[in-house]
Amino acid sequence: MIFPQEKTDQCISCHFDLEDKVAISYKTDVHFNKGISCSACHGGDSNSDDMELSMSKEKGFIGVPSRGVRINSCINCHSNAQIMKRYGSTIPTNQYELLKLSVHSKNIIGGEGFIVDCISCHSVHDIASVRSKSSKVYPTKIVELCGSCHSSAEFMKNYNSALPVDQVVKYRTSTHGKLNAQGDPNAAECINCHGNHEIRAVNDPKSTVYATNIPQVCSACHSDQKKMAPYKIPTNQYSLFENSVHGKALLEKHDINAPSCNDCHGNHGAVPPGVESISKVCGSCHALNAELFDQSPHKKPFDENSLSECESCHGNHGVSHPTDEMLGVNEGAVCIDCHSNQSDDKGFFVAARMKEIIDSLQLERDETIKILDEAGKKSMDVSDAVFSLQDLRQILIQSRTKVHSFDLEKYEELTNQGFEITTKAKSEGLASIENYYFRRKGLGVATIIVTILVIGLYIKLRRLEKKNSSA
Amino acid sequence: MNKNNPIKLTKRGFHWIDERYKLTDLFSFLKKKSVPQYRATIWYYFGGIALLLFTVQVVTGILLLMYYKGTQDLAYESVKYIDTKVNFGWLIRSVHSWSANLMVLSVFIHMFSVYFLKSFRKPRELTWYTGIGLLLLSFAFGFSGYLLPWNELAFFATKVGTDIVGEVPLVGEYFLKLLRGGEDVTGATLSRFFGLHVAVFPGLFTILLALHLIFIQRQGMTEPEDWKSKPVSEKQQIPFFPNFALRELIIWLIVINILAILAVFFPWEIGNKADLFAPAPEGIKPEWYFLFMFQVLKMLPGKMILINGEFFGILMFGIGGLLWILVPFWEKRTPIGIRNRLLTYFGIFVIIFIIIFTMLGFYLD
Repeated sequence: MIFPQEKTDQCISCHFDLEDKVAISYKTDVHFNKGISCSACHGGDSNSDDMELSMSKEKGFIGVPSRGVRINSCINCHSNAQIMKRYGSTIPTNQYELLKLSVHSKNIIGGEGFIVDCISCHSVHDIASVRSKSSKVYPTKIVELCGSCHSSAEFMKNYNSALPVDQVVKYRTSTHGKLNAQGDPNAAECINCHGNHEIRAVNDPKSTVYATNIPQVCSACHSDQKKMAPYKIPTNQYSLFENSVHGKALLEKHDINAPSCNDCHGNHGAVPPGVESISKVCGSCHALNAELFDQSPHKKPFDENSLSECESCHGNHGVSHPTDEMLGVNEGAVCIDCHSNQSDDKGFFVAARMKEIIDSLQLERDETIKILDEAGKKSMDVSDAVFSLQDLRQILIQSRTKVHSFDLEKYEELTNQGFEITTKAKSEGLASIENYYFRRKGLGVATIIVTILVIGLYIKLRRLEKKNSSA
Repeated sequence: MNKNNPIKLTKRGFHWIDERYKLTDLFSFLKKKSVPQYRATIWYYFGGIALLLFTVQVVTGILLLMYYKGTQDLAYESVKYIDTKVNFGWLIRSVHSWSANLMVLSVFIHMFSVYFLKSFRKPRELTWYTGIGLLLLSFAFGFSGYLLPWNELAFFATKVGTDIVGEVPLVGEYFLKLLRGGEDVTGATLSRFFGLHVAVFPGLFTILLALHLIFIQRQGMTEPEDWKSKPVSEKQQIPFFPNFALRELIIWLIVINILAILAVFFPWEIGNKADLFAPAPEGIKPEWYFLFMFQVLKMLPGKMILINGEFFGILMFGIGGLLWILVPFWEKRTPIGIRNRLLTYFGIFVIIFIIIFTMLGFYLD
């Protein structure tokens, strides 16, 4: 039941006179300002000053709505576009439908009603507009609001015991969290990433924070030049990322093992656990490369000059698929960014030699494949040699990793195994091709011998039959 | 010339053997032996071709046996070893495989020629039966040998082939287990097939072949039906030795050359090793000589006249095969000199049936 604004509201009048705290706080509520009476949610007759009558069952008074049905008080109006229009509201009317899709719409333990319903977040008698600083869901307040449940292990164990409860603590260590704490409403908080009414589990592909959706979520702010202007940070990260080797794996191939923004930058916290700085994040996936680098002669000068390790050669957001062209001293090689053709620059010669070796091994591999293909086309069985090329493939992968040791001796030790494989496989392939021609030549000789024998026998037979017929 | 002249030595050697084993009697028998010469003489050579190919099978089989290992773990690897590492192993294996197929083809042609020439009639009924026995053993050789390389195709084809045995009511399940050495095709099946292929079947084949050849030698080559009314002067014969033997030798040489060409130009592929847990690859088909039966069984509906379609097919093949085998018993017209065209038409129908369903088996999925 909705009361027109001009009528006197007896509920407020009496409860205010009684200095009822709830009534006092309701005067600050956005609904009160729109002329909505207590009876809209509690039932009863707000026109009557007779307490017995106005709060009688006959007048529909229900008192405090139970947990299971209290949401109806909100959705009766908020899911009805006509009613909302009547009050001049432009806010959407699909919140309830979205909430039903959310993880919060499961039943509470031991009772009825959603785990989280409208008043769980928006409060009850002092509801303010979400844009108002006094709103419980205002950006600077929402973190604590979400944390009121999500930071409580005791509460969370009832619904998802596997979910961590340190998100707020971690968030406060992040740049977003720090800005938020300083009162910046534009810094990302919970709902900017997780959504508001339709919050889904992170492993739900429709979740805004599902691995493949994260880049779009982050770029919603980070690609917005206007939003980022006060922070003076670039806005091209997403466009670089989507063309990077990681971005293509994640966004085009939908490989959820490929890193998304949060895998390097962290999600709630600043950096992933156990990694000291962002420049070392790469090592959490590319562990072998990082280990080799740590033992390499590069480690010391990089540390001394505060150079970021992987990033210096591979870049960050736009990291492309590394090619052999990055190695060496030719145009396009990253080694010559620091090394030059000086007699005392050992690194220059090591880089040149490594490139020479990998190119030779690659050429040897291509040539071997060509020979084995030719043998295969001739129906010769070279499957053992073909199989050995799998080891070569492994060695090539390892050698590209071994580059990060920048140790020529170790590099040659590995690549020599590859050359041994190509030499053996190539000789097997060539022997098969030779054998192929040997078989044909042998068949040719055998056919000539058989033909001569057949002709000889035929002549003998003809003579014999002629002799028999003349006799 | 001194007394150690090689010709003199050979003559003395021959005399020594002749004195003891009466070789002269054998030669006089061979000199007297003749073969009817008329338009169908060409078909007489196919028995000899089958004999040659069986000999090739025995020789190449023994050579393969020196390297082949009949166990689940080593069978495929040993065949691969023969193909790639053993000197001329590829040739021996390819010749063995091609020769097996050509042998089945020759036996088929030989059987149909005997059928159309009505050579199964009295007194040659036992020659026909031993011949049928040899045909069935050739099938058994082919079926058991196909599994021995233990490759993917052979494994699944054996699975499908033995499944058909399981369809026979009452005894099917027992025979299926007996054949497979268990519920499924496993290493036990391989050992079983290997034993049958290299020991049991060759023994039986040799006995039947010896009987078959003895019967032919005792009764001589069959003469055409219409020769009964001809005077002896009009019955053209050629001496078995050396004329027919020389012709057969020429054909044998050509067949050996064809075998070598097939082995060199179309070496028998080994494929991938059988994986007991892998799903069956597409296009599993048995050897070509079982294909017509396989295709018919595949095309039959699930239910035929209230019984299982596949069982109906097996029953029909069983009855048809039995009729074919028992032809000397029920065919009464030829022995009394009356032409039996119906029998010829039936034979033509069987050939067309086999060709059509074999082709369908090849070209349909």
